[in-house]
Amino acid sequence: MSLLEVKNLRMCYQTSQGLIKAVDGVSFEVKKGEALGLVGESGCGKSTIALSIMRLLPPNGRLLGGEILFADEDLLTKDEEEMRKMRGRRISLIFQAALNALNPVHRVGDQIIEAIQAHERMGKEEALRRVEELYRLVGLDPGMMGSFPHQYSGGMKQRAIIALALSCNPELLIADEPTTALDVIIQDQIIKEILKLQKEFNLTLIYISHDISLIAETCSSIGIMYAGKLVEYAPTIALFQSPLHPYTQGLLSSYPSIKGPKRRISPIPGEVPNLLHPPSGCRFHPRCPRAKEICGKEEPKYRRIKEDHYIACHCVNNSAL
Amino acid sequence: MNLGRFILNRLGQIVITLFIITTFLFLLFRMMPGDPTSMILDPKMPPEAKELIRKEFGLDKPLMVQYLYYLKNTLTGNFGKSFYYPETVLEIVKRKLPPTILLFTTAVILSYLIGLPLGKTIAWRRGSRLEMGATVFGLFFYTVFIPWFGLIAIWVFSYRLGWFPIGGMLTPEVWAADVGLFPKIWDVLYHLILPLSVLTLLFFAGSMLLMRNSMLETLREDYILTARAKGLPERVIKNRHAARNAMLPVVTALTLSLAFSLNGGVLTETIFSWPGLGKALVEAVLNHDYPLAQAAFLLLAILVLFANLLADILYAYLDPRIKY
Amino acid sequence: MGRFKENFNLFRKNRLGMTGLFILLFFLLLVILGPILPRIDEMYRPMTGVDKEILWSTPPSRAHLLGTDFMGRDILSQLAHGARIAFMVGISAALASVLIGTLVGLVAGYFGRLTDTLLMRLTDILLTLPSLPLIIIIAAALGKQSLWIIVGIIGLIGWPSTARVIRAQTLSLKERPFIEAARVSGASNFRIITRHIAPNILPLSFLYMTFGVTGAILAEAGLSFLGLGDPSVVSWGMMLQWCFTTGHTFRAPYWVLPPGLSISLVTFAFYLIGRALDEIINPRLRER
Repeated sequence: MSLLEVKNLRMCYQTSQGLIKAVDGVSFEVKKGEALGLVGESGCGKSTIALSIMRLLPPNGRLLGGEILFADEDLLTKDEEEMRKMRGRRISLIFQAALNALNPVHRVGDQIIEAIQAHERMGKEEALRRVEELYRLVGLDPGMMGSFPHQYSGGMKQRAIIALALSCNPELLIADEPTTALDVIIQDQIIKEILKLQKEFNLTLIYISHDISLIAETCSSIGIMYAGKLVEYAPTIALFQSPLHPYTQGLLSSYPSIKGPKRRISPIPGEVPNLLHPPSGCRFHPRCPRAKEICGKEEPKYRRIKEDHYIACHCVNNSAL
Repeated sequence: MNLGRFILNRLGQIVITLFIITTFLFLLFRMMPGDPTSMILDPKMPPEAKELIRKEFGLDKPLMVQYLYYLKNTLTGNFGKSFYYPETVLEIVKRKLPPTILLFTTAVILSYLIGLPLGKTIAWRRGSRLEMGATVFGLFFYTVFIPWFGLIAIWVFSYRLGWFPIGGMLTPEVWAADVGLFPKIWDVLYHLILPLSVLTLLFFAGSMLLMRNSMLETLREDYILTARAKGLPERVIKNRHAARNAMLPVVTALTLSLAFSLNGGVLTETIFSWPGLGKALVEAVLNHDYPLAQAAFLLLAILVLFANLLADILYAYLDPRIKY
Repeated sequence: MGRFKENFNLFRKNRLGMTGLFILLFFLLLVILGPILPRIDEMYRPMTGVDKEILWSTPPSRAHLLGTDFMGRDILSQLAHGARIAFMVGISAALASVLIGTLVGLVAGYFGRLTDTLLMRLTDILLTLPSLPLIIIIAAALGKQSLWIIVGIIGLIGWPSTARVIRAQTLSLKERPFIEAARVSGASNFRIITRHIAPNILPLSFLYMTFGVTGAILAEAGLSFLGLGDPSVVSWGMMLQWCFTTGHTFRAPYWVLPPGLSISLVTFAFYLIGRALDEIINPRLRER
């Protein structure tokens, strides 16, 4: 049973130069207890999807169409108060640049208690015990609860944010580049922490990153995004064994791998397209090594190609499999 | 965390600043072309009295020695004798200080109590009619010519409507009569309301606009997004997260706005015949009563410096990141 | 030039800024009117012109559209003359303080170390002192009041806020690669400051000038009103002082209102324009 279903989501930002179509017709679903990874270069719309699910888009963000079904309810039709009760309670978000995500003038523990008390009728004492428990869970010393964010290291802040995100036992956790600002070792610890917690609580997780190797570690299935569109979606193993979309293939070959045969690392030529004036047809065609005439004219349909494997590309057809 | 040392440090800075100001005053009044003693010695004085002051201020000695005399006298509060009043300057400024503190501090506090919530609200409702209205209203009073505005206020509310006295701080009859404390306080309040309202109206725009800008910047911070993602009610986000943090730069800027406010204070005191230091300064200058003018100026400077100290302490209290 | 046009278009969209501009244009018209009036009739000389039939203050009439002052002098021509004084005082004092402030900020920010510490301590002290009492006390010590001495004092007092901003801007510019490049290629300090840093901070200086004009006009008007201005110059502050000291404040609204309103409106206009420019120069403040 799927917990979250995104159907043909279309989103844009209004700027002085024109409309930026950040998300253009994206569909996917996440089953209960599953971990889905969304991968793409920066500016491909993956963060916008996270913010759309939370309904926390900046004032210039506009919804153009689509549905976001969470437990069979459309989040996009909910009013602000209903949505507020969802946030942090049923859906939690850990977002980018988490180093500034805690308010510098309040004690960290208080900021978590505040989140709990916003959703549950709970006395200060009980909330305090809950926070203590959460601190242990994410590997923080409960003695740090009374400290201010500037007294925490980067990794500790990120752990506190995870504790915050888990404070109300959410059903869905969205982690948007949760480790970008951290160094590699801490990054690894944090990811392990998230994985452990996900298994322990049977959390449904959407993990957003530009780093496909990170996603491979964390997620059971992967969606590849390019320029506001989902171009390929498959279980992690299937995707790594037989990537079908030329972009996915390019993405995979641009990362070094320790195991497996030696090969050249080949970056994808060209640049991420400007979403103010996206290329016609398939948005990847100017950079695609296999582009045909049709690719520049017609948008490829996003379709199922085999069990759990979806793709949007003219060059791949069922017969080629 | 050592508040004591922090305050001591700041007091040290204040002493240095005062030293510089005193030196500046000394040079300003002694280096004038012509006879500098005319700035210190009352031309109307009898020769014996002149001789006495000459000694007290070391006027017959070289400039450097005069300077040391001057420092010593200033330090001990010996500002000399007024040219105009039969008292010493110290006695006069002592009397003039409380009214200034009363009017000035209440006006500053009141204007912040009005300006901060208003600034918060208009930032939160950016682009609304309320924002436009409050901004234009505030800006007008921010740049209005104070004496003129004060005169208009007196004209309308005191002269025409007769709601308030024309000026002053006390009704002598009330204070001469044996009526107890309460009527006296009431009498001061009655005199205070109009100048206080005028000053508050002039000051509030500064804090309002500052708060608005600071709030708009704060609303872009990541922790505001966190607060939203936590599912906090808007009211809590606005007050506990945005406004609380937006206060910090406003308190920092308090330092500058205090000096600016005192300019308004001087003019307002003059218009409303409020017996404070500002009016004393202006009158002393008009009467060529230079010892009094210097002392009044020095006291105004000290007043601002200590108000700034309070602002610094308040800031340290509000921002946990400050290690004194 | 393209950038100028773009910025002007941004300015045109700022309603408050445009309001300020229109108010200024109105007062500029008044400035132009100033020298024309006495040519029409001798009695319209702001200081010495007297209507032979009127020797006291009268309400507005055909001959005197805004009435006359206590000596029967025409208020409209005084107002027009005052407009010229206000622009002169405001712009020259602001120019002086912006020049000093820019220089101090540049030197402090560029050379750093002890120069910076000393200059900034001085700036901070001057910034925390109430400027009007300071101007009053200096004017008192200098004795004779002439308009240009007053302008000089205002200019000498008003620079610290500019200095602070320019210093911060210089500090951040100093770290940019193109400055490093200039230094490595052997450019002298003087050349780096004048060729590379100054052009980048001049817009900010200009912005502070508009705010400085507001302060200078208010200060001069305040001094004149208190009786510490130049008695030989008909400024708006002086007009108010005459009205106040001759006891006409509550009797002659036609006399009290115009000069005070003019001071307030002109400073308001400069401030509005400054704010609008601020939003263009500091895009952080701009609405998305």
